[in-house]
Amino acid sequence: MTTRATTHAKPILSARGIVNRFGKQVVHDKLSLDIVPGEIIGIAGGSGSGKSVLLKTLTGLHEPNAGEVLLNGKAVQSIGAAEKAALFGVLFQQGALFSSLSVAQNIMLPMREHTALPAAEQEQIAAMKLALTGLPAESGIKFPSALSGGMVKRAAFARALALDPKILFLDEPTSNLDPIAASGIDTLIRQLNDSLGITVVIVTHDLTTLFTICGRIAVLVDRKVTVDTADKLMKSDHPWIHEFFHGPRAEGAMNARKTSHGN
Amino acid sequence: MTSAPANKQQASADPFRPTVVVSGDGDRLVLAGALEIVTLAEARNSLKKWSKPGPSRSLNVAKLDSLDTPGALFLCGLKDKGVELTGIRAEHRALLDLICGLDLKPLPKVESVPHWRQIIIQLGKGAHDARHEVLDIITFVGRAASWTVNALIHPASLRPASISRHVTETGINALPIIGLMAVMIAIVIGYQGVAQLRPFGGEDFTINLVAVSVLREMGVLITAIMVAGRSGSAFTAEIGVMQTREEVDALKVMGIEPMQVLVVPRVIALVITLPLLTFFADIMGLIGGAAIAQFLLDVSPVQYLTRLPQVIDGSDLFVGLFKAPVFAFFIAIIGCMHGLKVSGSAESVGRETTRAVVKSIFLVLVLDAFFSILFEKIGI
Repeated sequence: MTTRATTHAKPILSARGIVNRFGKQVVHDKLSLDIVPGEIIGIAGGSGSGKSVLLKTLTGLHEPNAGEVLLNGKAVQSIGAAEKAALFGVLFQQGALFSSLSVAQNIMLPMREHTALPAAEQEQIAAMKLALTGLPAESGIKFPSALSGGMVKRAAFARALALDPKILFLDEPTSNLDPIAASGIDTLIRQLNDSLGITVVIVTHDLTTLFTICGRIAVLVDRKVTVDTADKLMKSDHPWIHEFFHGPRAEGAMNARKTSHGN
Repeated sequence: MTSAPANKQQASADPFRPTVVVSGDGDRLVLAGALEIVTLAEARNSLKKWSKPGPSRSLNVAKLDSLDTPGALFLCGLKDKGVELTGIRAEHRALLDLICGLDLKPLPKVESVPHWRQIIIQLGKGAHDARHEVLDIITFVGRAASWTVNALIHPASLRPASISRHVTETGINALPIIGLMAVMIAIVIGYQGVAQLRPFGGEDFTINLVAVSVLREMGVLITAIMVAGRSGSAFTAEIGVMQTREEVDALKVMGIEPMQVLVVPRVIALVITLPLLTFFADIMGLIGGAAIAQFLLDVSPVQYLTRLPQVIDGSDLFVGLFKAPVFAFFIAIIGCMHGLKVSGSAESVGRETTRAVVKSIFLVLVLDAFFSILFEKIGI
């Protein structure tokens, strides 16, 4: 694996003492998480363990009841809109492509808003992003309603990459995809991390994604987070983590990992 | 590879004022700084004069601190024009290889149709759609009527719980707003009547004007339009959301006819509530008339009540109430029909809801005009 993370680098994004409460239900209790530049980190956890809330908290879309999220040492809530657009790229679970715009217009929207590039050049860059995410140029003029599930994910990926963000957040990038499309997305994530050095945060249930491309895995259990490499988490004696990494599905994913590491 | 994160951090230390500098002269130039999306225009301008073709041009990029994908695309473009890139840093190599290796095609152009042709195409489409709409309505009205009659013949298949829920939602919950609107419309008519009739000394006839127009037309029209906007749209949205979640398909698979469980209870409920709401609107309209009489004509409520039977008779009330169930039937049918037309996406729920409201209000007014002519001919 060629993830670029250096083990003791200063964190690019760090969550400190996050508390999230909905009514009486506490989802996160003084949770802390450091993300180092250039790594691919997976966030895993059972349904309702607050993965999506954590992602929203990290991106500043949800304000936690207590604690803070720092981006390069600066509170994420205080970062300006243009700066945030250049730093963060988010792939939402359903794609969140704007249905009134074509795919190319979707990709060009952040460029139009935050750069002064002429339209022809924006189109050129949009075509490049499409090719980068493995979409044919013809799909650029299509509208999101005419795309298949896998194409929506790729188009949303291309839009998340529009301004070459430093950190890419992916919410379930492989859910609802067939295995071929899903492994295509996995390859794409790794390729972008290798060539661009983008830090990637993936929220996923997909064990294959967790095992094959994530350098570290953050498991959300008991309202806290346990972060380690897959190998070390396998040896954890926490019952939920043990079950997660040793269930019948985990075995198959481990085999996939061996295959991909053999390459 | 290990030097990459350090480089990235350096670039992100002040990422919002990155600059790119072109130095050197002749065929050998040096590019330094950050070649990113924000500096791309600057780099292109600096290199513009250099664009004359020459065989031995080279660009040194060793001093480039950061490079993003648009920057790499720009460098690949130069490379394609015969410029040799020298001193490429290891961490930029992978990115350049990736971007230069892409099979880039320009975005296809959207075919543009001349304006005059667009108008003709729109007209043709409109006529075609209108024909289909009419056929759809006729078919659906037929099916819904047949299912409703079927349900009335076999009362066991009626769903009283569902009907009573819709009666509550479309009827009882609508009472306050409909009462208020009826009072308001009576006041509007009253003021106009007084203003127009006073020069002729006939302002007393305002009472006739308000009472007759509320009972014959305004009461039922206001109620029907309100119900179309309030409940017809709700029918479309409810059934439409069920359609997007495949709940309607689930019913069909279970051998339950959506017409019977979704459409018939709504039609029956609305046919029950709209006449009742209309009667309520009539009463409230007459109360509004009493207020006008008191404040503009100095006619006390008691006098007003004694005058009412002289100016109106049963047929005025009947004409208004007779129309209500007919309007109700069509409002419910159109609402349900558009709900079942929803296909998959969430935006089609919004589109169909708008169509349902527009179409049902249109149909209410068309039917009202038809009734006006009919009652005139038969002399009621």
